[in-house]
Amino acid sequence: MMRSSLTIALKDLRLAFAGSGGLAQAFLLGLLLIFVFSLSQDVGQRMDAQEAAAIFWLASVFCQVLIFSMLYGLEESHKARLGLLLMPAPIQAVWLGKMLAGLCLLLLAQLLFLPALIVFLGQNIYDSWPLALLALLLTDIGIVALGSLLGALAQGQAARESLLSILLFPLLIPLLLAGIHLGTACFLPEAPENIQSWLGMAASFDALFLAAGIFLFSFIYTGDD
Amino acid sequence: MLLALHHITKRYGSRLILKDISCTISKGETVLLSGANGAGKSTLLRIMAGLSQPTEGHLETELLPENIGYLGHDTFLYPALSALDNLVFWAKLYHKPHTEAALRPLLARVELERSLHERAGVFSRGMMQRLNLARLLLLEPSLLLLDEPFTGLDSHSSSLLRAEITTAVQQGAGIVWISHDITNDCSMADRLLTLERHRLVFDGSAKAATLPPPIASHPLGSLPS
Repeated sequence: MMRSSLTIALKDLRLAFAGSGGLAQAFLLGLLLIFVFSLSQDVGQRMDAQEAAAIFWLASVFCQVLIFSMLYGLEESHKARLGLLLMPAPIQAVWLGKMLAGLCLLLLAQLLFLPALIVFLGQNIYDSWPLALLALLLTDIGIVALGSLLGALAQGQAARESLLSILLFPLLIPLLLAGIHLGTACFLPEAPENIQSWLGMAASFDALFLAAGIFLFSFIYTGDD
Repeated sequence: MLLALHHITKRYGSRLILKDISCTISKGETVLLSGANGAGKSTLLRIMAGLSQPTEGHLETELLPENIGYLGHDTFLYPALSALDNLVFWAKLYHKPHTEAALRPLLARVELERSLHERAGVFSRGMMQRLNLARLLLLEPSLLLLDEPFTGLDSHSSSLLRAEITTAVQQGAGIVWISHDITNDCSMADRLLTLERHRLVFDGSAKAATLPPPIASHPLGSLPS
């Protein structure tokens, strides 16, 4: 299954970079959000760490909606979905492949968002790089696990971007809360005391969304139109 | 026996598509599936491929998903990838040799060797379908499910496809083939299945089906003695 997932992920990444602007739109939307929020304060003013973290995750989730919409859209033009359904591997390989591709693209987007946060919102990541990386990975895994599942649900729908947002945002709230608190800790000179509980919460929701993907994907991704 | 359908019924919501269909497909047999538009032919083929689940009844087969080749209206190709890269992707997913040396003869067989590195997106409908045929041949399937494979093909591509169908039959593959051109295609078939109003109304020899109707049932009545 892992081999099939990697093949799908590599193909998706290749098509995403060769595509006609879908990826650029997703990245620009996130950057635009950060820039627009920066206008709410005076020049040179440092935004509150928690607000900055919230903006970072908001930009990431909006970007991710477009990423998964694009990734599942790749199969729709010539119904390659049917070909994937016939492959000799569990169908969850598609979910995992899309999730891996989505994770790579989201991390790449966040690599652009972080400098924007430092420049536009006056944030600093002090000595907390390991924590920042752990927080990023833990929150991202949950986001892409659910994004990959719901992306499959929304594919083929005329209003897939809006449907994906409507389904995704309410379910992601607990994980985003954990991400915001962990992000806040990264932007402060000293990490707050209760950081372990937020790490635990992010890991729990990762497990929940990964399990949901494994169990529910085969009911969502079918050959029936 | 390659595949057996037992009392298959399919509904989409309250809409009946197929009602109580039972039949078997044997090794080396060419079966023509006919019927008016909306009779449920494509749905039946999708159920045979395992792409759609029946509402009632069950499908019995010893074939693995990789042993079933499905050629539908859609080509399962990625327009942004080259002809070769499309084949490499499917070869990797189906655990087949995926080097250029291994795939070049296959592209030569469908006369696309010179377009090896061209993007599939610039191909004509006929070239796309030939590349799709190469994808199908790559799998070396034991059962070929063809949904109106000649639609939109020029005469050259049609002859190429007919030749490949004949070769597949000679190699012992079973074929189920949806056709609207019964007069021409019956000569290549062993059996004819006819769907009418969601039910299987004829299952018999394709040769018998093409015989002229008995004089007694002729609309003008019996001939004068």
